[in-house]
Amino acid sequence: MSRLPFGPAPTLLIVVCVLTAAWLALAPGPDVPPDGVTRLHVLTFAQTHYDAYKVIIPEFEASHPGVHVKLELGDERAVTSRLQSAFWAGTKTPDLVEVEIGAVGMFFRGPLDEIGFTDLTDRVHETGLYDRIVQSRFAPWSSRGRIFGLPHDVHPVMLAYRRDLFEKEGVDPADLDTWDKFVAAGRRMTRDMDGDGIVDQYMIELSDSAHGDLEPLLFQRGGGYFDADGALTMDNAIAVETLAWYVPLVVGPGQIANSLGAGQILTQAMEDGFFLCLLCPDWRSAVIENDMPRLSGKMGLMPLPRAEPGGRGTSTWGGTMVGIPKQSPHPDLAWELALYLYYAPEPFEERFRNTNILPPTRDAWDLPAISEPRAYWGGQRIGDMFVSIADETPPQYTSPYTPLAKTKLGEAVLQCVDYYKHNGEEGFRDFVAQTLKEKADDIRALLERNPFL
Amino acid sequence: MSMHRETFWALQRKAAPYLFVAPFVIVFCSFMVYPLLNSIWLAFQFTNGPQSSVFVGFDNFLFMLRDPDFWTALKNTAIFTLFSVFLQLPLSLGLALLLNARWVRGRNFFRMAFFSPHLVGQVFVALLFSLIFLPHYGLLNRALHAVFGVGLDTKWLMNANLVMPALVLTSLWMYVGFNMIYFLAALQAVDRNLYEAAMVDGASRWQQFLHVTVPGIKPIAVFVIIMSTIGSFQLFELPFVLLKGPGPDNSALTIVMYLYNTGFSTGDLGYASAIGWVLVLIILTVSLAQAKVTGLWKKNV
Repeated sequence: MSRLPFGPAPTLLIVVCVLTAAWLALAPGPDVPPDGVTRLHVLTFAQTHYDAYKVIIPEFEASHPGVHVKLELGDERAVTSRLQSAFWAGTKTPDLVEVEIGAVGMFFRGPLDEIGFTDLTDRVHETGLYDRIVQSRFAPWSSRGRIFGLPHDVHPVMLAYRRDLFEKEGVDPADLDTWDKFVAAGRRMTRDMDGDGIVDQYMIELSDSAHGDLEPLLFQRGGGYFDADGALTMDNAIAVETLAWYVPLVVGPGQIANSLGAGQILTQAMEDGFFLCLLCPDWRSAVIENDMPRLSGKMGLMPLPRAEPGGRGTSTWGGTMVGIPKQSPHPDLAWELALYLYYAPEPFEERFRNTNILPPTRDAWDLPAISEPRAYWGGQRIGDMFVSIADETPPQYTSPYTPLAKTKLGEAVLQCVDYYKHNGEEGFRDFVAQTLKEKADDIRALLERNPFL
Repeated sequence: MSMHRETFWALQRKAAPYLFVAPFVIVFCSFMVYPLLNSIWLAFQFTNGPQSSVFVGFDNFLFMLRDPDFWTALKNTAIFTLFSVFLQLPLSLGLALLLNARWVRGRNFFRMAFFSPHLVGQVFVALLFSLIFLPHYGLLNRALHAVFGVGLDTKWLMNANLVMPALVLTSLWMYVGFNMIYFLAALQAVDRNLYEAAMVDGASRWQQFLHVTVPGIKPIAVFVIIMSTIGSFQLFELPFVLLKGPGPDNSALTIVMYLYNTGFSTGDLGYASAIGWVLVLIILTVSLAQAKVTGLWKKNV
């Protein structure tokens, strides 16, 4: 021991360090599949998708001997940032990843050849998939004319309403086929029910401080953030018209809408009859069923009122794609799995019963599950109802700057609400136009700086 | 042979310290020095992640000057910092004085109770307060309604004018007790004889506080002020979780959140680096100014 100049302890530490490092370097990782087995790694952020895939993946594995599918669920934000980090660092990625519509734009920021997802355009056309699918649903997953993801859904929007309270008020939802009629009815039905001076029944849940509820109403009118060529459109005439119409619904003497937040508070508010209607894309109808079981039989779905007679009777809200990262060592197998998970008709029926999400492939719309009456919705055949409007679903074009545009639209909503609260109609329309232009110019300044687009 | 052996041990004796610090130096250089130097280079580039970049000179810094979101973030961060220093720290000191008084019963319990919010972390606190601030059903609105008759529909987290008060309130709950511990430690280190001497000289309570307590806790107080300022300028998790982003009209956008969004949502690591370096300069300037104003570098006589 006397030969160890600093005593035995540091020497022992070094030995432990060397052994640990050697073990870390040499030990097989937990992800290494056994010889002869090909592992496909699928990463999703949605619990409902995860549950649905878990049930049907064994069948895929049975039909592909030697293939093992590892399904993983992650938080949406974590999935997105992990994927981006992997793209940037060139490290291992899953073979299939689901990306939410609000996050996909960030992957399309650079030159086309640096986008981390495999370009699926040729596969989509060669397999005839392009013609089977509602084509507007490719828009969010495309950049500069190339398709980088397969659409999981259509997400047409209807209105969910409290059937029992509508009946009590003597209002037939079929009569509310335009927004003018809906707002007129809303002004009658929005009121203080218990005489304490506080309004405790609102016609609809709409936010006075964020873009989320305005967005589908903007899409319904043919507006949006960007057009198919990537040009910013969030301050065009449609946007000005829509925002000027929207703001008096959420503030001022004609207010018919309010918002409290999502989750438990929304459940409580719906059960209390605080809101009579909710914007309801197909996925949200399942959320309502799960979160508000006490409203079973008391809820109904109605088409989205049209902006004008003959106008579009729906919109879209949300969306998911599955993409194949370029780093995947098994792109062909991943493609097969993606087609199976998204478009195989056999497992679809059970998935629709669980998620209410309409697939974008028209040939799946004839399946019996779609036409089943639902007790929760008072016996309505909600699948058929969503199918009837699915082809009208407007496109949502994606840009790397879409998340920022959403934030800016939210700022515009807030500023216009504030203006309307203090000034009413006087100069309001000009203020809306000016505010939207200012917000859009902020984004244009960023667009001009980007040499890659 | 023994000659060689002696040379070996002599060499080992000289090299051993360097070998022992080598792992730290390697890790420090890899994960701190290199990224720092690289971020200086990045600050002069327009980037698409680390994959491609274009040299833009000072354009990132010039763009920052006319970027309204940067100025909003700076304004919000500065307001939060002011509240931290001028509201939170006096409250912490007041609480420390109270819980340092011998006549207060159950002092240890209260010290623990006031410190405990800090133990649970910002994410937990943010989630907790997101429920407390709920309109109509939230605890705060219910309490205000019951006590003062205020309407239930105050939207603390959806109204741009109320977001900052909500943030400050949340941070008060979390940090007042934490800073109180520093002040308590400082107060307990003040020599009791000085108070007795001051009393003999006829000094009032206020005079004792001003001329005995304040000079006694000054080094710790300056440290707490500087650390609070730096921490406030780095504010990120609390608003990020509480408001799930920058809040209505960017009312909770802080510089670090803007840096994060720019780098990891927009992918512009160059601009994010430029923001980071401006933040470093701001914190450095403010900290130096605070040290100067509080006389940190003056030698005690």
